[in-house]
Amino acid sequence: MERLPQILALGGGGFSMEPDNPLLDDYALSLTGRSRPRVCFLPTASGDADHYIVRFYRNFATRGADVSHLSLFRRDKGPGAVEGDPHAHLLAQDLIYVGGGSVISLLGTLRAHGLDLVLEEAWSRGVVICGLSAGSLCWFEEAVTAFHGAPQRVRGLGLLPFSNCVHYDGEPSRREEYRAFVRQGMRSGYGCDDGAALHFIGRELAHVVSSRPRAGACRVELSAGEIVESSLGSRFLGSTLELAA
Amino acid sequence: MPAAGTILAMGGGGFTMEPENPALDEFVLTLAERREPRVLFLPTASGDAAAQVGAFHAAFGDRPCVTSVLSIFRLGEDGGGPLRERLASQDIIYVGGGSMRSMLAIWREYGLDHLLEEAWRAGVVLAGLSAGAMCWFRGGVTCSTGCPEPAAGLGLLPYSFSVHADGDRSRLPVYEAAVRERRLPSGWAADDGAALLFRGTRLERVVSSRPRARAVHVRRTEDGDLERTELVPDLLTALPRLQRAVTGDVLEFRRLRSWRESG
Repeated sequence: MERLPQILALGGGGFSMEPDNPLLDDYALSLTGRSRPRVCFLPTASGDADHYIVRFYRNFATRGADVSHLSLFRRDKGPGAVEGDPHAHLLAQDLIYVGGGSVISLLGTLRAHGLDLVLEEAWSRGVVICGLSAGSLCWFEEAVTAFHGAPQRVRGLGLLPFSNCVHYDGEPSRREEYRAFVRQGMRSGYGCDDGAALHFIGRELAHVVSSRPRAGACRVELSAGEIVESSLGSRFLGSTLELAA
Repeated sequence: MPAAGTILAMGGGGFTMEPENPALDEFVLTLAERREPRVLFLPTASGDAAAQVGAFHAAFGDRPCVTSVLSIFRLGEDGGGPLRERLASQDIIYVGGGSMRSMLAIWREYGLDHLLEEAWRAGVVLAGLSAGAMCWFRGGVTCSTGCPEPAAGLGLLPYSFSVHADGDRSRLPVYEAAVRERRLPSGWAADDGAALLFRGTRLERVVSSRPRARAVHVRRTEDGDLERTELVPDLLTALPRLQRAVTGDVLEFRRLRSWRESG
């Protein structure tokens, strides 16, 4: 069966930001179409922070997934750690989950290990790609990062020919900077709230889903010299009954 | 351009590998021409691992020096000011081990490759082990991707350097083959505990924290053979613990001084 390339780009959320809310991670798992998906976590953007890796296992190992993580800073050994050929390992996954942190360090490290090309190949072969924050920004052609203070423009891996700004509702200054960047010539793209995710099939935005009823995303573009921000409807993944309960 | 800098390249050892043996770390402190040198730890190769940062504070916190840590993964959180000033104001920059490939990639993203070279030329002592030692050379043997393989460094020293010659025996054959095949220039392989001291680009001294640690110079001859020359390091001895601790009144004086300087 041919699998379509899919990217789930979270504005924020998932196990590391909303540990009691599994909706977005469940959605990512469901995209694999497998009852026991192979899931590899890339904690590169955090410098392979131990606590982050632990939280990944705590969340995914209990969901019937075959879990592993790939460290690019240490030679981790033991259950889950990738000790063999990292390229072959990534290509054999159903879902690659990229964590948050510094997108600049993430991109530099991925490129130094040749993983930019491997991830592109995995994506084109239908391995589902999911990431939040830095792990979301990196797939786009351009992105806004504010990890080190003032927002700045970053060139990403370019699998998706758009720009992206995460935590769109969380930090007002990011929204302003993003709009200013697009006005100055950054390509048009998407602002995505914490708790919302952009689901791309191929290079097309197919769905916007959310783990919180009010989280959403918008398209930001320049039209006749003016910034136009249009809200995109998002589908809340939980049931409203649960909310009422 | 004069190459006036000092580099101490350790094959392994120091506080992250032999915390019970401070001989190499004490030697690092003597390389600065200041009684209480400013020492900056750069743990990039480990992904700024909390364990390495903790070990640095444990090893240097009670010694006569002023310590700080530059965590690139936490830039902007620590209010440390511009990178150039932070590096240039040090007496010693100590680089930890981990993945050389990841470390160099991140340094380049932030321009640290140039800033470290500037600091070296300005006389800041560069010290490091493993990835933090090989990075100063034209190349070394990294295990960043699992199997040992030659990899380029920053090239401040126009030689090659291979680490953990005794502790990780898979590296040496790869290193020697790379020198023989001219994929790496001539250079040295050092055991854990052995360290090479360079002034400018000249090897001045070989020291060690362990009696049996060695370094070997590996050179490709005209006719393609390898010539190996073993170097016996000067054995360093650590100060007894009682002599090295900083007393309470000195610590109090330091706090007062830093309060005055900041005020």
